[in-house]
Amino acid sequence: MKSTTLHLELTVAIREMQERIAFYEDMKAYNQLFELLSDGIFRFTYSLVKSNEVAEEIVSDVFIKLWQIRDRLPEIENLKVYLYTIAKNFSLNYLTKHYKNTVISLEELDVESVIEFNGPAEMCISADLIQQIRRIIRQLPPQCRLIFQLVKEEGLKYKEVATVLDISPLTVRNQLAIAIRKIGEALPAYLQSDFTVINRFSPS
Amino acid sequence: MQKDQFRQEQRFWLLVSLQLTGEATPEELTELENYLQQHPDMGAKMEMLHSLWKGGPADKNRRADALNRHLQRLSNHLASPALKYETVPAEEEEIMVERPSRKIHRLLWPLTGVAAAAALVFFFVYRQVPKSQPVQAVQNAVSTKRGSKSKIQLPDGSQVWLNADSRLTYDENFRGPFREVQIAGEAYFDIAKDKDHPFIIHAGSIDVKILGTSLNIRNYANEKSTAAVLIHGSIEVTLRNSPDKKIIMQPNEKLVVQNGKMLITRDTLTRQKVADLPVMTLGKAHFRENDSIAIDILWVKNKLAFDQETLEDVARKIERWYAVKVTIKDERLKHTEYSAVFEDESLRQVMQALQMTGNFNYVISKKEVIITP
Repeated sequence: MKSTTLHLELTVAIREMQERIAFYEDMKAYNQLFELLSDGIFRFTYSLVKSNEVAEEIVSDVFIKLWQIRDRLPEIENLKVYLYTIAKNFSLNYLTKHYKNTVISLEELDVESVIEFNGPAEMCISADLIQQIRRIIRQLPPQCRLIFQLVKEEGLKYKEVATVLDISPLTVRNQLAIAIRKIGEALPAYLQSDFTVINRFSPS
Repeated sequence: MQKDQFRQEQRFWLLVSLQLTGEATPEELTELENYLQQHPDMGAKMEMLHSLWKGGPADKNRRADALNRHLQRLSNHLASPALKYETVPAEEEEIMVERPSRKIHRLLWPLTGVAAAAALVFFFVYRQVPKSQPVQAVQNAVSTKRGSKSKIQLPDGSQVWLNADSRLTYDENFRGPFREVQIAGEAYFDIAKDKDHPFIIHAGSIDVKILGTSLNIRNYANEKSTAAVLIHGSIEVTLRNSPDKKIIMQPNEKLVVQNGKMLITRDTLTRQKVADLPVMTLGKAHFRENDSIAIDILWVKNKLAFDQETLEDVARKIERWYAVKVTIKDERLKHTEYSAVFEDESLRQVMQALQMTGNFNYVISKKEVIITP
C-alpha cells in the first residue's frame, strides 16, 4: 500500500517537472529530473552494456534526447517508462554496432544485474546469506534478473516493466514470482538473533 | 498429493511477490494472510524478505557530478552545429537562445496552474539569493581610473586584474555559502578552487557561476553588451532576467549578451519584435596567429587590442586606456572596423597606425582626440 502511494507521488512530481521543462524550458526542473532518474537508468543501462563509460554516455544521450523533444513532452504519458525505453533502445543499438552488426535482442542478451542488499540497520541477515542470495540472483535467467532489478531497484510497476521490455505484464508477474520463490526458499526458517547479524555500514 | 503441495507453494510465492511489489489486489492479500495463519513457520522468511526488499541501492555517491558532466555534454551538443562554422572564415556565429515562437507558446499556457506556480516560486527564490547579499554586508570596493589598471587579491586567494575605468565590489568578510563579487567594467579572474563555496560574478545582465577557473568579464556601462571569455575550467552563466536558462561554457568560448535586449522578461513576453534578435551569442574566442592568448585578455599582458571592432568601440577603449576623450565627427567613420594589437605604444603611435588603415584625420590636443574624415 505504502509503495503505491510513493509511486503515485513520484509520478505526480515527474509530471510536474515534465511540464515545467516543456512550457518554461525550466533548467532547474530538468536538473531535478536528471538527479531523480539518471541513477536508475544508469544501472539499467549498465546491466545491458556492462561498461560504466558507455552507460554514462548513453544516459547522457537519453537526457539530451529529452531536451531535444521538450516541445512534445506534455504528450508523453509516462516519462519514466519513456526514458527507460529510449535507454534500452540506445543500449541495443550500441551493442549491435559493437558486436559487428549482429542484431542483438533482449532475449539473447546476458544481463549484469546491479542489485544491492544494503538494508536497514535492523536487518537480521548474515553476510553469508547475502552472498548466497547474490549467487541465486546471478543464476536466474537474464530476463528474470532484469525484471527483478527494474521492479526492486528502480521501483517500476509490472505494467511499466512490461512496456519497457516489450513483454506481457503476465510474464513480468510470473518471472518476479520465480525470483522471489528462489530467494525465499534459500532463506533460513528462523531469524538469526545473535552477534552474527551484520550491517554493512557499521563494521563492528 | 505432492503435486498439489508444489502448486500451493508456487501460489504462495506468487502472492508474496505481489505483496512485496505492491501489485497485490485486496483479495490476494487476504489469501496470503490466510495462508500464513496456516503456516506460521513462514513468518521468519517473510520478515527477512521484507527487509531485503526495502534495502535499496545504497551508494548514492557513485555518480556524483554526473549531472555536471551531462550538462557539459548537453551544452556542447547544443552549441556544436553553430560552432562548426567557426572553422570557416571568422564571422560571429549566433545561437538564438531566446526563441520567439516558444515565447508565444509560453504565453498561452499560464493557465496550467501548477506549472505556472512552480516557475514563479522558482523565479523568486532564485532572485533572492544574489539580491539579499549587498544589503546585508559591508561592501569592499576596488576601482580603477581611466588610464590605469590594477591587480587585486581577494580574501580567498583569487586574483583579479582590473582593467581601466572598472569597479569590483565584494562583501568585506567574503564568507557565506557563495563568494560573490560585482563587476562594472572589465576584469580578468583567476579563481582559487573551493568547491564548497561557489564563486559568483554578477556582471550587469548576467550571473556567472564558476567552478574553479579563469575568465575575462567585460561589462562597461557605456557598451551595448556584456561579454565573458572563459580561459580554462568551466563556468555556468545565467541571465539575470531568465534564471532558468543556464549556459555552460567551455574553455576559449566567448559569450556576448546584448544589454539592450535584457528588457525582455517574463512579463513582456509579447514583445516579439525585440525577441527576434539574438540575445546571446556563443562563439569561439578569437586568437591572433601564433598567439596562445585570446585577444580579449591581451590587456592583462598590457597590450591594447582591437578585434574587428568599430571605430566607435575603438574610441571608447582608447579613452579608457589613455584617459583621454575621443570624438568622432563623422557618422560613417564610426562604423568602420579595425583589428590591431599595440604594446607599449603612445597614444600618438596608436592613432597614427589606425589612421593609416582607416584613412581619416585626427588632432590630439591635451586630453582630447578629434577624428575627422
